Amino acid sequence: MARVELVDVTKVYDNKVTAVNTVNLVIEDREFVVLVGPSGCGKSTLLRMIAGLEEVTSGDIFIGGQRVNDVPPKDRDIAMVFQNYALYPHMTVFENMAFGLKIRKFPREEIRRRVLEAADILGLQELLDRKPRALSGGQRQRVAVGRAIVRKPKVFLFDEPLSNLDAKLRVQMRIEINRLHKRLQTTMIYVTHDQVEAMTMGDKIVVLRDGVVQQVDAPLNLYNNPANLFVAGFIGSPAMNFMAGIIQDNGGFVFQGKRFRFALPESLGDSLKPYVGRRVILGVRPEHVYDQQLAGRRPLTNAQEVQVDVIEPIGNEVFLYFGDGEKSYCMRMSPDKLYRPGEKLQIALDARKLFFFDPQTEQRIA
Amino acid sequence: MARKVILYLVLLVGIVVFTYPFFWMLMASLAPEKEIESLVLIPSQVSLNSYRQVVEKIPIFRAFCNSLLVSGAVTAGVLVFGSMVGYALSRLRFRGRNLIFYILLFTMTLPFQITLIPQYILMVKLGWVDTYLALIAPYMMNAFGIIMFRQFFLSIPQDLIDAARIDGCGDLQILFRILWPNSIPALVTVGIITFMNSWNEVLWPLIVIRVEKLMTMPQLIALFAVGGRAEAQLGVKLAAATMLALPIVLAYLFFQRYFIESMATSGLKE
Repeated sequence: MARVELVDVTKVYDNKVTAVNTVNLVIEDREFVVLVGPSGCGKSTLLRMIAGLEEVTSGDIFIGGQRVNDVPPKDRDIAMVFQNYALYPHMTVFENMAFGLKIRKFPREEIRRRVLEAADILGLQELLDRKPRALSGGQRQRVAVGRAIVRKPKVFLFDEPLSNLDAKLRVQMRIEINRLHKRLQTTMIYVTHDQVEAMTMGDKIVVLRDGVVQQVDAPLNLYNNPANLFVAGFIGSPAMNFMAGIIQDNGGFVFQGKRFRFALPESLGDSLKPYVGRRVILGVRPEHVYDQQLAGRRPLTNAQEVQVDVIEPIGNEVFLYFGDGEKSYCMRMSPDKLYRPGEKLQIALDARKLFFFDPQTEQRIA
Repeated sequence: MARKVILYLVLLVGIVVFTYPFFWMLMASLAPEKEIESLVLIPSQVSLNSYRQVVEKIPIFRAFCNSLLVSGAVTAGVLVFGSMVGYALSRLRFRGRNLIFYILLFTMTLPFQITLIPQYILMVKLGWVDTYLALIAPYMMNAFGIIMFRQFFLSIPQDLIDAARIDGCGDLQILFRILWPNSIPALVTVGIITFMNSWNEVLWPLIVIRVEKLMTMPQLIALFAVGGRAEAQLGVKLAAATMLALPIVLAYLFFQRYFIESMATSGLKE
């Protein structure tokens, strides 16, 4: 049983910088939770506090029901995989993986059995006699994971383990870690700044900003129902488009931006009523902006004419960028139709997929 | 091409200036006494007579063993304690850490002569005069070693230490099982310099040791050379000096790779 619970956890450094601010979080047994946020948001500090590598300024951390604030890292029954692998350079792969067990005085046979088992899972059998410097980045990361799994800990902690790998290897390791989680059925806490990693790996994602939890949710819920402007902008690539404007009530609700004007569906009426005549921020994801000619029978807003500035063909899709004289916006299109820079087209937004945020509180209002 | 020739010439002059006295000493110690007056490097015949006389006149082997014991113990002490303090100053967080570091730096600027008398009085009070303890204990830790280790340990990634901590290591295990094997250049540099300084120390042994059987080699040889027992024979004095220098030269030749590596990198890594 390895439920991890954080209660009002706060970390203030000596220089009075608050890295983590009153975080409350429950990570269930066997859950795979991803902590995500931009650099400096406190995610690594939070992980290091769970590991026992950083002291908690206030609040409590529980692992498996036991308060561990004052328990040293070695007695917390956790294992951690570091961003730069942190393999012991003077030891072979075998010795690296065996070291934790050796320090804990496991019998030699048991150590051997566990290391070979982990090597088998991770495909490291051929490399056991090599020193870390003779390994590639991917192999080193595998050894670092191996070192964690031989211990059979209650909780695995991953601190941006894939950020030093190239894009292709990253995808491969991502799948392997997912597979490992299914196989080991252990609580895993994973820190990353990469929202694609977060979306593809976690059962649950915790979005952090400036040491404060912004939203805790399942990946798709986070994508479809962001709680605030930050989460909406952070999750999703390319990021959600944000347009500042005013809500008007001309018999029906209308959003009036700097250049664009969209009539809004009635269903948003109740939420937007208090904001009539006030500034709001409209959010819409690039895939919910349509070329009106190709939109089919989706319920759309009225169309507006735009001029394409930049085209980014990715292969399986194309990103078109257009502006309103102030900001640039992105739309995601199928590569079937060819567009040219400077081309004019009529765009409309998916009326069911509009988000509205309060510019002051940044909270979602509709 | 001409540039290269000049460069080599300059280097050659440098080599001659630095090594000539040493080679002359070595050769003169092997030459018959009457040939030593000249600065010629090659003697007409090789004679071990000077060495024989040294061995006959003073307990040089006993002094060699004393020196080895003292320098060995001092070096071991500096490596163990210096790295422990260096680790604490670089990797443990505690109040006054930087203050301690600056005080240590300050002590490096104090000349030995200033602490000589208080240190001697301390030895007398402790009853350590004329014991090995007087030669070893005051030198088992020094600021140079601590600072070298501190700087070197700062260049080791924190993640490595965190990984060891999670693997179950305490601080001493982190130091000796993880940091030491990855700090060979620092260990060798501090080791050689400490050993060399301890081996060559004359003044302190002269002050605290009066019994001949406890004397270290440089002390014994200094007394021998200036105290009249060499009977003004230059060859015998030079033979004694060669015997004194030889172990250090051998140690340097053996460890020079690490030594140069460390001198070239330490202090730059931060």
